[in-house]
Amino acid sequence: MSDKPITYAWAINHALDEEMQRDPDVFLMGQDVGRMGGVFGLTRGLHDKFGGERVRDVSIVEHLVVGGAVGAALGGLRPVAEVQFADFLLLAGDESFHKMAKWRYMHGGILTLPMVVRAPCGIQGGVGAEHSQSPEGHYWHTPGIKIAVPSTPADAKGLLKSAIRDDNPVIYFENRRLYRVKGEVSADPELLVPFGQGKVRRVGRDVTIVAWSAMVDAALEAAEILEREEISVEIVDPRTLVPFDMETVSTSVRKTSRLLVLHEASLTMGPGAEIAARAADELFEHLDAPVKRLAGTDNPIPQNMALEQFCYPQTDQIVSTVRDLAKW
Amino acid sequence: MTTMSPDAGLTKQRETLLRLYRETARGRALEDVVNQLAQTRTFRGFFHPGRGQEGLQAAVCTALNVDDYLLYAHRGLTYLTAKGMDPVSILGDFHGRLAGSTRGLGAGTVHCVDPARGIMGQGGTLGSCFPLSAGLALASKTKGEGKVAAAFFGEGASARGTFLESGVTAKAWGLPVVWICENNGWAVSARVQDVQGTADIAPRAAALGFHTQVVDGQDVLAVHEAAIEAIRQARGGVPAFIEAKTERIEGHFTGDMQPYRDRDEVAAAKTRDPLLLAGQRLVELGEDTAVLDDIREQARAEMNAADEAARTSPLPDGTRIHEGVWA
Ligand SMILES: Cc1ncc(C[n+]2csc(CCOP(=O)(O)OP(=O)(O)O)c2C)c(N)n1
Repeated sequence: MSDKPITYAWAINHALDEEMQRDPDVFLMGQDVGRMGGVFGLTRGLHDKFGGERVRDVSIVEHLVVGGAVGAALGGLRPVAEVQFADFLLLAGDESFHKMAKWRYMHGGILTLPMVVRAPCGIQGGVGAEHSQSPEGHYWHTPGIKIAVPSTPADAKGLLKSAIRDDNPVIYFENRRLYRVKGEVSADPELLVPFGQGKVRRVGRDVTIVAWSAMVDAALEAAEILEREEISVEIVDPRTLVPFDMETVSTSVRKTSRLLVLHEASLTMGPGAEIAARAADELFEHLDAPVKRLAGTDNPIPQNMALEQFCYPQTDQIVSTVRDLAKW
Repeated sequence: MTTMSPDAGLTKQRETLLRLYRETARGRALEDVVNQLAQTRTFRGFFHPGRGQEGLQAAVCTALNVDDYLLYAHRGLTYLTAKGMDPVSILGDFHGRLAGSTRGLGAGTVHCVDPARGIMGQGGTLGSCFPLSAGLALASKTKGEGKVAAAFFGEGASARGTFLESGVTAKAWGLPVVWICENNGWAVSARVQDVQGTADIAPRAAALGFHTQVVDGQDVLAVHEAAIEAIRQARGGVPAFIEAKTERIEGHFTGDMQPYRDRDEVAAAKTRDPLLLAGQRLVELGEDTAVLDDIREQARAEMNAADEAARTSPLPDGTRIHEGVWA
């Protein structure tokens, strides 16, 4: 079982394939996931391999995709539902915020909902305000849902496999800008990435950056540049937001005394606010500088591709923010 | 196979009717207890009385198997008792005590649960039963379990977009759903003709390809027969729909004096009380009124005893709120 570089997209495909192979209760549903293999090609080959009963195409029915997955999970299956864009999860607001998140609790905690919703997120390709959002913060604000935000092909595979085996509902945010990124991915079907265990992507001394999803690569790029200026950056990728691995963040900040939280979702009331607040609360005496956030801008995302780069943190902004932080 | 003699047919009808009478009476007796709790503010929160609709709920739920799935509605409680749920655990939810099915979360009507009897709960947002029932039916079909997923809802909820999305998909996949529309003509204060432009819901289900029946919801035998047929269709892979034309005798919730409704209409609705009608029919079939009195008395005694057991069960402590978020 040699590890060979495959894309993030293909890692997701492998996770689905292996889990469907392993457990007959796992099935997929979503728009165009069947014969077409998904609008981004992620489910390619699975319809041929597992048939139409396990890879179910649906009409334009987002309420049904999410609410039907809730019902199917209550009935003992392990649905992996797909919305074509994370934005469309909000169409199924009742089914996601209420049914998926609360059904178990409302009914005394005796029912289980082992289900996953795959939600392609991220700004790319001029698809505009309703096809580019990263709404992980909306769901982090909703008790009852686990949230995965993988940044590498290996994590994309390992976290999706964990999500499918989890007895709780999970939203799995896959960033479209990462689909073609290649990385080493284990072929071992039992290699899972556990939820709630962050990973230090780069070891450093001076400033901690907490980043996930496509922002990790941007942070790594910035760290390379800063290294030349003798500013040493540590990058913590929490990998899942629920549960959130504060311990790894905390260990890093105790060492560096400076924290930048980086994300693609828009700034105000974004997920970074929660992390910054927790850092202020729990790490006050270890901090030498104010906690900084760098995030998506507070505007709807325009359709014009040329303007997209202004909507989420770019490498040069990260570099200058870290530079300022390092001065404290 | 021998055909039934007319006498045997009547005897069987009488037996079925007696059973439905008993379940209707049990549901009503339970609701009488809950109404009392609501009026004395022992239970705070909304209770939506099912008075007038208990018969149809009993008639459908007694036609289901124990393991068939049920997503019930907010309009009363007869769904639950007729499906076999213990009244102590229902009342325990009203009292917010550990005897409740939600172990003290204080569910009111809405979140009683009993998976061993297929009772999979209820959402607080109307119309969420459509996708959930489709999903449950999909699980049953995929696993070859032969269970149907029954979902109850009012004509108001039938206007939700989830109806269309789930109906379309249920038809495409041949899902064993049985959808029961309790059309009482009112959604709180909104008259169905005024807000939906029609009084009839079944044509929409028919247009989606469902097997549909329209039935007098006050006639328990007619509803029971329709339910048996709907369940048969659903088990065969044809999604089924019953529109039961029914009467909401009380207000939307306990204490709603219905100022928006015509007094004569409410008075007329009261004459179509399903328990009354089933009783009359039984007497016509030769049943002794003493037997019926006895059934109602037993139901009252059962529910009063259940209330006693529920209200003396312990209250949860504050740590309860943190339990059950995660599996
Ligand atoms: C999605 C949603 N909208 C509104 C409400 C508030 N509400 C509760 S019951 C009700 C009326 C429902 O009418 P109908 O579906 O006809 O059922 P009935 O009450 O007549 O049994 C309303 C508007 C709700 N619970 N959920």
